[in-house]
Amino acid sequence: MYSRLLARLLSWTLRLDVAINRVYPEDFNPLYYTGGLSNLFLTVLVLSGIFLFLYYIPSFNDAYASVQFITLQVPYGQIIRGVHRYSADAFMIAILLHFFRNWFTDRFRFSRDEPWISGMMLLLFSGFLGVTGYVLVWDERSQLLVAMTGRTLAAVPGVGGWLQSMWQGSSGISNLLLPRMLYLHVGLAVLLYILLWWHYVRIRHPKVWPPAVWTLFSLGLIFLLTGLVPTLSQPPAHPESVPRTLTVDWFFLLPYVGLTVLSPLVLIALAVVITVYGLYIPYELPETPAALGIRDSGIAQVVDANCTGCELCYYDCPYNAIVMAPSPHPGVTKAAQARKLLAIVLESRCVECGICIGACPFEALELPRLLERDVQEQVVAACRA
Amino acid sequence: MPGVDRPASAPAGTGTAPAAPAGRPPRIVGFLCDFAVDVSAFTAANGTLRDLPHVTLIKVPCSGFVRPAWLEFALRNGAEGAFVCGCPLGDCFNRLGNNLIGDRVVQLRRRFERQRIHPDRIAAIYYGLHDHEGFLGAVRAFSDRVAALPGPVVPAPRAAAARPAAAAAPARPAAPPGAASPSASPSAGSRAESGPGERADGAAPEEEP
Repeated sequence: MYSRLLARLLSWTLRLDVAINRVYPEDFNPLYYTGGLSNLFLTVLVLSGIFLFLYYIPSFNDAYASVQFITLQVPYGQIIRGVHRYSADAFMIAILLHFFRNWFTDRFRFSRDEPWISGMMLLLFSGFLGVTGYVLVWDERSQLLVAMTGRTLAAVPGVGGWLQSMWQGSSGISNLLLPRMLYLHVGLAVLLYILLWWHYVRIRHPKVWPPAVWTLFSLGLIFLLTGLVPTLSQPPAHPESVPRTLTVDWFFLLPYVGLTVLSPLVLIALAVVITVYGLYIPYELPETPAALGIRDSGIAQVVDANCTGCELCYYDCPYNAIVMAPSPHPGVTKAAQARKLLAIVLESRCVECGICIGACPFEALELPRLLERDVQEQVVAACRA
Repeated sequence: MPGVDRPASAPAGTGTAPAAPAGRPPRIVGFLCDFAVDVSAFTAANGTLRDLPHVTLIKVPCSGFVRPAWLEFALRNGAEGAFVCGCPLGDCFNRLGNNLIGDRVVQLRRRFERQRIHPDRIAAIYYGLHDHEGFLGAVRAFSDRVAALPGPVVPAPRAAAARPAAAAAPARPAAPPGAASPSASPSAGSRAESGPGERADGAAPEEEP
């Protein structure tokens, strides 16, 4: 039933693509650029965040006032703050679309688990970054978030108290809280880029940016929202009284809404289950293509005699599964005799797509169970028919 | 669809008689990606389409797997048209395969122009898993276009190889006198010079031995 559901979701995803392709040219379908859009919004977040960081003061007495100062006094401060707020939401939407799209279209099979795992971590850390960002404002919502997070962490059996003091900097609310949150906000943003490196490292030619039209449209939309719905703080936090109501940002604070119906322990268990299952998704599939019921052509093999070291396969392999090594000996064919390099297929990264075969003009790569000869026989048979 | 929609800037064929005898549909070979359009319900056991029995599909693991040379191989072995079908551009399961084959088909069309093979005989089309209606429509359109093309599929190979200088000279009237003999060898420079633009105003149909 679960696999039928996933098949249904794949079908819906692709039908949605077809519908969007009727409206836009294929090159501009935004669903093909969810990763690029995420990166665009992350860049906007970093640039606007640097501006906000220059004015922000992480102490109980000055935090709220400094945010108000940015909003009301600093030239363009209101706009930059709004851009930071709305591009954060847009970032979350984009990475969730990216996540679901790649899940439903099975783009995590075989050696593609590394982008998947790093992507899951990017998703988790992005959510956490959003929460710390809301704490930094130090209004009523921030106070409530700190209290709710602390109480939830304290519900963990055994290490709850320790987790709570790790989160708050001490057992109660202390002056260490805001510097800690500032570090968790800015420092973890740097960590996002380390994870992004991991996200890209196995990918040749990642689509890092959306088409220019979508870049302009997204930036325009963010600025429009900033102008129409200015970002404002809640009333300032009061240490004596914790507020009762939470103004919700649905993209970051959804778990806190869950706290109104679930007990903290259940919420934590749910989060752990979802996270662990998300990390397990690439490994629940059968190990081999044959067990998966798809074509099993075998890992691409380099024909040593023919390889000229031209690097075309190296540039075209979408998964960086081909490396060029210094050639230990000359090739056999005339074109291969003067070669300096030899292509080598890294088996653990090969997904057997055969793109290197199409890239090679020297017949120096073959899929072992779908040779060029086999294809040519099929072509000849088709022409005789 | 860059492969299909590109206007025919090709050298005209040598004759006006269609390659296939009148009434017989052209024989077409299609390479179909495993992850692209699912037409298993519309194909016979030997890979021909039920509605278009002159079209035979060969399944490949990714459209990028197809060597452009195989399209030419098909044309030289009796097919009148050959195409590759991949997933929609931007949605290749293996990320880049359809973009790569799209580029390679464009390059092969350019090579065909020099070899006096009509470039409209090959195409790259892109249809996703459930888009079989669009796929069948595109194949039908491609088939009709191929059926309307004049001349033999591949010009007589010995004649073209034996007299390259004579074939190149009338198409390039402005060439300096010294350039005539180097243009006989198929060097990269002389290939780049005889682009489609020059052929267009050259206007002289290639002579037929």
